[in-house]
Amino acid sequence: MRSKFACIGVALLLLQPLAAQYRTALPGYRHEFPRDHFNHPDYQTEWWYYTGNLKSPDSHRFGFELTFFRQGVSRDPARTAAWELRDLYLAHLALSDLDGGKFYHSERTNRSGPGIAAVNESLGRIWNGNWQIQWHGEDQELRAIDERFQLHLTLHPEKPPVIHGENGISQKAEGPGRASHYISFTRLATSGAIELGNKRFEVRGTSWMDHEFFTHQLDSEQTGWDWLSLQLADNTELMLFRIRRKDGSIDPYSAGTYVDVNGKTTHLRSADFVLQPAGEIWASPKTGARYPMHWRVAIRKFNIELEAKTQLESQELTGKTGFAPNYWEGAIVLSVQRGPQSLSGVGYLEMTGYDRPVPFTK
Amino acid sequence: MPLLVLFYRLMVRPLFREPVRSSLTILAIALGVAVVLAIDLAGGAAAGSFRSSMETLAGDNDLEVVTSGGLSENMVGILATLPYPVRVSPRIEDYALIANTKKSLPLIGLDLVAEGSAFAQSESQKTVAFQTQDVSEHAFEYLGDTDSIWVGSSLGYRAGDRVELLINDKVHSYMVRGIYPDSNGNESAIVMDLAAAQHALARYGRVDRILLKVPETPSPEEWQQRLQAALPAGVEVRPQGTGTNENRRMLAAFRWNLRLLSYISLVVGAFLIYNTISVSVVRRRPEIGIVRALGASKRVILAAFVGEAACFGIAGALVGLPLGRFMATGAVRLMSATVESLYVSSRPGIIELNAGSVFLAFAIGVGVAVASAYSPADEASQVSPVEAMARGRREYDVHVQKARDFWIALALGLAAGAASCAPAIAGKPLLGYLAAILLVVASALAIPAFVEALTSVSSKLLGKLLGIEALLASRSLAASLRRTSVLVGALSTAIAMMTAVGIMVGSFRQTVVVWMGDQLPADLYLRPAGSAAADRHPTLSSYLEEEIAKLPGVAVVDRLRAYEINFENMPATLASADLNVPRVYHNSDLFSGRPKEQVLAELRDSNTVIVSEPFTYKHHLKAGDSLTLSLGETRATFRIADVYYDYSSERGGIFMDRNTMLRYLPDPAPSNLAIYVSPGAQLDVVRTEIEKATAGHRVLMFSNRDLRAEAIRIFDRTFAITYALEAVAVIVAVMGIAGALLALVIDRRRELGLLQFLGAATRQVRKLILVEAGLLGLLANLAGLALGFALSLILIYVINKQSFGWTIRFHWPVEILFGALTVVYLATVLAGLYPAQVAVRLNPVEVVHEE
Repeated sequence: MRSKFACIGVALLLLQPLAAQYRTALPGYRHEFPRDHFNHPDYQTEWWYYTGNLKSPDSHRFGFELTFFRQGVSRDPARTAAWELRDLYLAHLALSDLDGGKFYHSERTNRSGPGIAAVNESLGRIWNGNWQIQWHGEDQELRAIDERFQLHLTLHPEKPPVIHGENGISQKAEGPGRASHYISFTRLATSGAIELGNKRFEVRGTSWMDHEFFTHQLDSEQTGWDWLSLQLADNTELMLFRIRRKDGSIDPYSAGTYVDVNGKTTHLRSADFVLQPAGEIWASPKTGARYPMHWRVAIRKFNIELEAKTQLESQELTGKTGFAPNYWEGAIVLSVQRGPQSLSGVGYLEMTGYDRPVPFTK
Repeated sequence: MPLLVLFYRLMVRPLFREPVRSSLTILAIALGVAVVLAIDLAGGAAAGSFRSSMETLAGDNDLEVVTSGGLSENMVGILATLPYPVRVSPRIEDYALIANTKKSLPLIGLDLVAEGSAFAQSESQKTVAFQTQDVSEHAFEYLGDTDSIWVGSSLGYRAGDRVELLINDKVHSYMVRGIYPDSNGNESAIVMDLAAAQHALARYGRVDRILLKVPETPSPEEWQQRLQAALPAGVEVRPQGTGTNENRRMLAAFRWNLRLLSYISLVVGAFLIYNTISVSVVRRRPEIGIVRALGASKRVILAAFVGEAACFGIAGALVGLPLGRFMATGAVRLMSATVESLYVSSRPGIIELNAGSVFLAFAIGVGVAVASAYSPADEASQVSPVEAMARGRREYDVHVQKARDFWIALALGLAAGAASCAPAIAGKPLLGYLAAILLVVASALAIPAFVEALTSVSSKLLGKLLGIEALLASRSLAASLRRTSVLVGALSTAIAMMTAVGIMVGSFRQTVVVWMGDQLPADLYLRPAGSAAADRHPTLSSYLEEEIAKLPGVAVVDRLRAYEINFENMPATLASADLNVPRVYHNSDLFSGRPKEQVLAELRDSNTVIVSEPFTYKHHLKAGDSLTLSLGETRATFRIADVYYDYSSERGGIFMDRNTMLRYLPDPAPSNLAIYVSPGAQLDVVRTEIEKATAGHRVLMFSNRDLRAEAIRIFDRTFAITYALEAVAVIVAVMGIAGALLALVIDRRRELGLLQFLGAATRQVRKLILVEAGLLGLLANLAGLALGFALSLILIYVINKQSFGWTIRFHWPVEILFGALTVVYLATVLAGLYPAQVAVRLNPVEVVHEE
């Protein structure tokens, strides 16, 4: 689950009565690829979420995030003209210049319009203006243009897609349909170039892709979440999230997935893992939100204990439109103890709802 | 310091002793200054800062993408996905009328989804729809509704209000969703989302303009090329606001002419200053003598009188400044009306009274005063002390060299004739103006000879007709020849300008009337009730034509369509009619004189066009040439078959067959319908039928006669400001007459006193003065009419032709001229009433005693 409040914030406020037009994520869904890498307009909300840790040959490190959101607004069949609003397409782009100590991010909101933004399976393309993913066979070519920087990366999956949760759904709250269909590429070998200002960096590294589609998966007692994608040096990966509730407790629907060397997955229930902040806090000067900068993870089942820290504190994305909640999403480094073995690792951390509760529902 | 005290005592103080005359002079200058200032300010507001209304909301973009007839919306997708960090802002631009107030406003369709969030991202931005805080939360909810609008705060609506808008030929009901600050109405508009705007205008699949914000590097020119390369050939990428510059260029001639017209009052004012200072010099000859005898140099004398004039100038400017600001308000209204009906939709800007305007006022006031006072002041400085101190006051110095001046006048007149034959310079009729100025100067120089000749005749005649008082009056005018000449000069210049412009406008009007007779062959005309201006072409629902054609009594319906296009960096109107509709023209309005039916047949279904006279003038094209137009996404070449006279707009016009137009611009909706009634059918009956058939649409129907009347009404409105300027010039001149007569009376106190002493009755003295006034008026009218006729020829055949490219046929607007001249004449006589009263009140004993 990812930070899709940009959509949720707006859409749930407004579109609750229309939710009936959409399908919800229910158990027994049969995933089919490549179809399920693309659009699911029957579900109200959908996102494609790319994050990664990259390094230039002279060891200049970067993190990046490129996210495409689609939020259904209307399924009125009379809306056929190009500009009529059927879906909102939002996108977030961020570059963490970890060694330069700078964080750049921008967002855009569009409708599909005359080819401005869309998801098109036959073209193998997901785009929002000149931010786009182009599929070539298995590979995904990522290109994003900003006034300050440009990304041009090729992502090659080293493992097959992972379907999170159980029975085809990732349950987020009590009740049928309070769930999403959640697919990830947990290890994407990445190469390409970053242009920042006048400088060009040839980069390599590892990326992660999340793709979720659902209709209203959260409930009103849930105020925010913490999510981590962890890529361990022993070629295994972990996805973990915990949902915080208004009363301060951690929601029992918090969950995770372990992916072994061969790509085999194990679903983790909230009882199966420990995910806790460990002290250090960064207070955002912009929003006043206090984000934990240091996390501790323990999974007894796989004999894993690890600490996650970031090299750059200010990786907060602040939406200025007022309807997109602010969140922290940034590159992290891991120090892992797996049995007797010490490992390194990289990952991405997302924390939401720290300045105010994410408005899930109304 | 002593000099200043002296200046005050000798020069300034006397002015207070004659408050009426001083006030009149100051007021005359003030009016001159005010008019120039008003036109200058109004030009700035109505046309100068002149941005086509759409530009006021265009934002901080660098480039724009345009093509005739609107862009395919796919261009937006192409531009948005180019690998360049360019901000893409599509626009739909039209006009809407608020149904209950009839206020016309730009209607702007924006991509509110994208621009709303983009604007919100950069906080400093000026945004259209999302500046109010509460909007963003609910924005997307309303965006999907085709009845959501956002409006400028100056319109006085509140969120939640319902507004009825007349768009093209239909009224739609909208809900105000938000208010944005609009700088006191300068940016007020109706803003909608693109989807809603396309819906309201039935403009599906198209946008009117795409604005682009490009990075600072490389240069905008480089970006222009890169982006152009990504788009079809017919689509043009150009700097944003190019349209504004084009409009500005188009309006340049109009503004220039108006500005020059405003100087007329000033010229008249200059005559009056000249007169005032001359009077001042003559009356103070003894003082000059004394001062000179006491050792004052010539330069001191010169400075004193120039200083006096400067005082008038400063006082005039002080009064003229607020007056000009006040008059500017009216001028803006008049100018905007003209600009809208002849050129382009405009929105008057704010009238800004800045340091520049203040400087202008003083420069003009003092400049004109000093310049026109220099000659009499110089003469004063030449006075020798002995002569001046000699006893007995001399009347006017008759140093007028009539003969020499007459010959100079003749030479200048010939030079004027030569200058009027010369072509325009840099698109401006500079030599035409020179010719006009030369004629005015020539007439000023010729006036003494003219006055003398006429007064010698009139003396005898008047003596017989009106008695001894008239004889005295006439002789007295002839005796003070210079003063009389100056007064006649001032008034005749004003009259001449009035006459010239009157003849020009009258001729123009008559030309238009005749032309319309040839131009409007149909019986009924139908157009949308939506907002109209020279560059707006609201459309009718396309099915109306079919419904009307089916009605009994309707022989045939012609669909006319017009677009605003851009041709070689100038705006132009592209129009079409259905040339399969048979029509009969009584007269050809073509340059070639060929029957119009024959030429139009050549246009049918072919890339052949005819173009308007102003168009050929602007683009130096003629029949037989070809021209290439960007239409839709293509470029197409057309042959010019002929040129037609066109007085409907100063924008150039291109006319083609409807089928030809539809090949490039496929929107079938017509801008107008021309309806031909079957022979034998009752026009009124058919009209009623059509009214029934168009119920539910807001259309305006004109009979052939109504339409002509409407056109003439617009024509007259267009020239309202011209009339206003002339009126001011005449008022200034008449005030000058009053002031001058007053001076005359005061100067001739001795003589008048003597007359009364010798037994002249009050009545007789009054008659004397009034006859003088009447005589002045008559002389001025005669001279003014003659000069005005000559000037009108220059206006019609040189200045108008070179500025606007219109062929105007000369016509005497007899009634108007006669009426105007009578009014002026009566005003001159009335202006004599007060001086006559002063003359009557003189105490003969006291006056004679003074001697």
